[in-house]
Amino acid sequence: MSGMRGLSVFISDIRNCQNKEAERLRVDKELGNIRTCFKNDKGLTPYKKKKYVWKMLYIHMLGYDVDFGHMEAVSLISAPKYPEKQVGYIVTSCLLNENHDFLRLAINAVRNDIIGRNETYQCLALTLVGNIGGREFAESLAPDVQKLLLQASCKEKAALCLLRLFRKNPDVVNADGWADRMAQLLDERDLGVLTSSMSLLVSLVSNDYEGYSSCLPKCVKILERLARNQDVPQEYTYYGIPSPWLQVKTMRALQYFPTIEDPSTRRSLFEVLQRILMGTDVVKNVNKNNASHAVLFEALSLVMHLNAEKEMMSQCVALLGKFISVREPNIRYLGLENMTRMLMITDAQDIIKKHQPQIITSLKDPDISIRRRALDLLYGMCDVSNAKGIVEELLQYLSTAEFSMREELSLKAAILAEKFAPDLSWYVDVILQLIDNAEILLPYAASKVREYMDKIAIHETMVKVSAYILGEYGHLLARRPGCSARELFGILHEKLPTVSSPTIPLLLSTYAKLLMHAQPPDIELQKQIWNVFKKYESSIDVEIQQRAVEYFELTYLVEDVEDTADQSAIKLRAQQLPSNALVLADPQPVNGTPPPLKLDHESASQTQSQPNGDLSKAQSQIPSADLVGEMVDSLAIEAPPVDMGSHQRVYREEDGIPDEVDGTAIVPIGDQANKVEPIGNITERFNALCLKDSGVLYEDPYIQIGVKAEWRGHHGRLVLFLGNKVTSPLTSVQALIQPPAHLKLELSLVPDTIPPRAQVQCPLEVMNIRPSRDVAVLDFSYKFGTSMVSAKLRLPAVLNKFLQPLQLTSEEFFPQWRSLSGPPLKLQEVVRGVRPLSLPEMENLFNSFRVTICPGLDPNPNNLVASTTFYSENTRPMLCLARIETDPADRTQLRLTVASGDSTLTFELKEFIKEQLIAIPMGSRALVPAVPVPAAPLAQPPSPAVDANDPGAMLAGLL
Amino acid sequence: MIKAVMMMNTQGKPRLAKFYDFFTVEKQQELIRGVFSVLCSRPENISNFLEIDSLFGPDSWLVYKHYATLYFVLVFDGSENELAMLDLIQVLVETLDKCFSNVCELDIVFNYSKMHTVLDEIVFGGQVLETSSTEVMKAVEDISKLEAASNAVSLVPKSVSRWRGR
Repeated sequence: MSGMRGLSVFISDIRNCQNKEAERLRVDKELGNIRTCFKNDKGLTPYKKKKYVWKMLYIHMLGYDVDFGHMEAVSLISAPKYPEKQVGYIVTSCLLNENHDFLRLAINAVRNDIIGRNETYQCLALTLVGNIGGREFAESLAPDVQKLLLQASCKEKAALCLLRLFRKNPDVVNADGWADRMAQLLDERDLGVLTSSMSLLVSLVSNDYEGYSSCLPKCVKILERLARNQDVPQEYTYYGIPSPWLQVKTMRALQYFPTIEDPSTRRSLFEVLQRILMGTDVVKNVNKNNASHAVLFEALSLVMHLNAEKEMMSQCVALLGKFISVREPNIRYLGLENMTRMLMITDAQDIIKKHQPQIITSLKDPDISIRRRALDLLYGMCDVSNAKGIVEELLQYLSTAEFSMREELSLKAAILAEKFAPDLSWYVDVILQLIDNAEILLPYAASKVREYMDKIAIHETMVKVSAYILGEYGHLLARRPGCSARELFGILHEKLPTVSSPTIPLLLSTYAKLLMHAQPPDIELQKQIWNVFKKYESSIDVEIQQRAVEYFELTYLVEDVEDTADQSAIKLRAQQLPSNALVLADPQPVNGTPPPLKLDHESASQTQSQPNGDLSKAQSQIPSADLVGEMVDSLAIEAPPVDMGSHQRVYREEDGIPDEVDGTAIVPIGDQANKVEPIGNITERFNALCLKDSGVLYEDPYIQIGVKAEWRGHHGRLVLFLGNKVTSPLTSVQALIQPPAHLKLELSLVPDTIPPRAQVQCPLEVMNIRPSRDVAVLDFSYKFGTSMVSAKLRLPAVLNKFLQPLQLTSEEFFPQWRSLSGPPLKLQEVVRGVRPLSLPEMENLFNSFRVTICPGLDPNPNNLVASTTFYSENTRPMLCLARIETDPADRTQLRLTVASGDSTLTFELKEFIKEQLIAIPMGSRALVPAVPVPAAPLAQPPSPAVDANDPGAMLAGLL
Repeated sequence: MIKAVMMMNTQGKPRLAKFYDFFTVEKQQELIRGVFSVLCSRPENISNFLEIDSLFGPDSWLVYKHYATLYFVLVFDGSENELAMLDLIQVLVETLDKCFSNVCELDIVFNYSKMHTVLDEIVFGGQVLETSSTEVMKAVEDISKLEAASNAVSLVPKSVSRWRGR
């Protein structure tokens, strides 16, 4: 220890490192140095060796691998001089585990020290064995250690060493041969030796209490001695308390004996316990308080274990009641913990219940540790009499609880509600609140109602609740037996004849949801459900009729759009069903019920051009500004006359529909002077498309350009949908792409003319050659009548499209992060002027451009760590890592570090992320699509239409 | 049984870490970071106890004490008494205080080897070895004397190089 200047200098160097990278460089240098020195160890003095081994241990603590030096550390064990030997023992026991080969090699050297005459060496050897000795050590050294324990001066260490060996191989200490000697050890006066011996005893009796029953009275004696403070030397008095550790350990040992049969021993013990229970007060000195309460709580445990007389028990409960209301948080914590244990004892529950308000207060404590204990206790003490109060408290807490507790909290609330529900309606309330709060419970809720459905007669309310829950969440059970969409439909549909007419629409909604959620699509189920819808199309109940018609249309159309294989069949069916389409488009019945199928979004052109409340025929479709409406739109576009390659899909307009649709889509031409203004903000549209793969790129009164893209590695395939919105053709259509140097782009032929109300699809192949933030520009122009319209549009083939999300674990992340050290592969920059974002918002942002946040990797909660893979022709698939260190005090600045195996990529990605952080694109974090995509027929998945039903409103109507 | 003893500063830099169950160096770092991220989010004046199953596996408890720029942490299983563990931290700190008279973070940083010696006299293989700081000091001083006494240079004996060569 004295004068290891080299170690101090090294530690000081490490302290001066500005960042982890600098530290790594310094460590690598040192490791290189140590390695070289160890290699030619001829000239290495033991002092130097010792110094290097200490440095290695320090480097190991910093998190670096020092395997190469294990041998050197082990070899020091055999050094003849104390200082080197000591280092060898200490460092070996920190670095190696019991199964390490080198340790086996050292076993003889260790044994020599144990059986040798040198006491200090014995102590060192015992420390090593006590820390990392394994089975082999146990077998070969146990007798020697036992011998030391009875004779030598390092008894404490020998006792704990034997404890380790016993744990590794219980056969090495046998009660028959050892119990007497163990008892003899407990006669020792030295409190240090007694503390170690008591730890050994705890371990032995936990395995075989009968064998060591002779030790029981000795334990009581020791406890008496301490509690009465007889012959306790000053150095073992801790803040006035005679060795609290020994008292605690002794009482622990006593808890392993099931009972105490000898009456006089029992009496003595209870006297001591009584003294502890009565004589402990809360005092000002924190340390004294801790020590006295350590003893007190252990005494409480022992009293509970011994199941003492009633009087003493109620004394304990009273004490605990006091503890759970004190301010001292540690005492309150332990009070709650021990009260939970107290629940095991009969008669205690009623007294504990009196403290319920106090316990509930602790559920709102700022300390999560205390909240957890309070939750455990409330859970344990809950029964029919107090379930309502407790569960409602838990639910209330659930809404504010941190994420880490929610799962446990909601499960506990659910279990208690089910176990002790005083009535069913209350149970339903609880469950619905839980569903509202905790996603984790959704499958549970669904499986529960599924069980209910098996009952022969269930109340209609239950049918409604079940229908709703199974419709929304039934698919979460799809893999369980009896829970496929078809089976769920079967059991629900059985109930339909028994329910009243207000429930039928609900069931129809559920059927539609089941059909939508069925994965893979179930043709048989579809047939059955369509039959039901068909049947109710003519129901006299308007609500039922409307739902049947709309759901049929909705599910049917979704089917259409999804089906890409059989175009002619779609057309055929579309032609067969004009009447349905018209019914769908009809205004709402006069009774004024709002349309049930309203989506969150409306098309931009519609919101702009439609005044509300006008019931003229042309505008009668406003209420169905929903998915169905859009689909009719897309169906109504006529095929272009020119050949545009095999990828195109063509929809033929349906007679009768277009005229009505026109009314919604056309902006009166006369109002536009000469200049054609784009609808919506082109930049915003572009920014939105950078983060998603389909949407509108450009729109003006005459044309809408939609984009749909697929990305695979460094390849991309975009389809441009050029949709003529008006009833006259658009001519001189030209689309030229100015490709940046890093992209290869191939646009298929764009027709010169787009016929009235037709949509043309132009595939565009993209290949990424190398990382760059440059953007491809589409130069687009056309003629409408005599006016020429042109626009320069940036194409969303941007850097992040060639990223593949990738989440790493810390084992994967950190080696990579370290191996990329410093510029140009790793770049760091302090970014200022960042738009302030909360951490979750920032996480969403990163995830949205496919740089995956790896949660929990960075120990500092204000930092984010992220990873992704970049694809281009020049770089292989390349791992990219990023770290964002935010400043909670100033959200407008942060430090950004980006690393990858390619310097250009690192730079470009860093700049890209910066751009994203400084100018957050509009709508990037919006959950609902900001702009619908009427031009892209594949764009809308079917489910949002159903999800868009406001579940809250549905539930309100239902209950 | 005590599973780990850690000292780290309020920036999360480890100053001393000893694990009584074997963990790989990566896992040790993960545990140190994990413990720090839990501790640094805890305000003052709340309890010193934490359930730490998420990091150390079932039946894992943690007590910590925050002194100036340092956290002292003990992780242990259910066979130990929480308050007694808290007292043990106090013993460790009081011993260090005697060692360095008014211990501060720098003493701990630069006396890395001595820290290990002190800790080994208090906790042994995950068990409480000595609770009297006076006794610990005695032992530590004895070791210092032994070191000073045998500062002469000597070579590693032949027997060692022989089994190393195998």
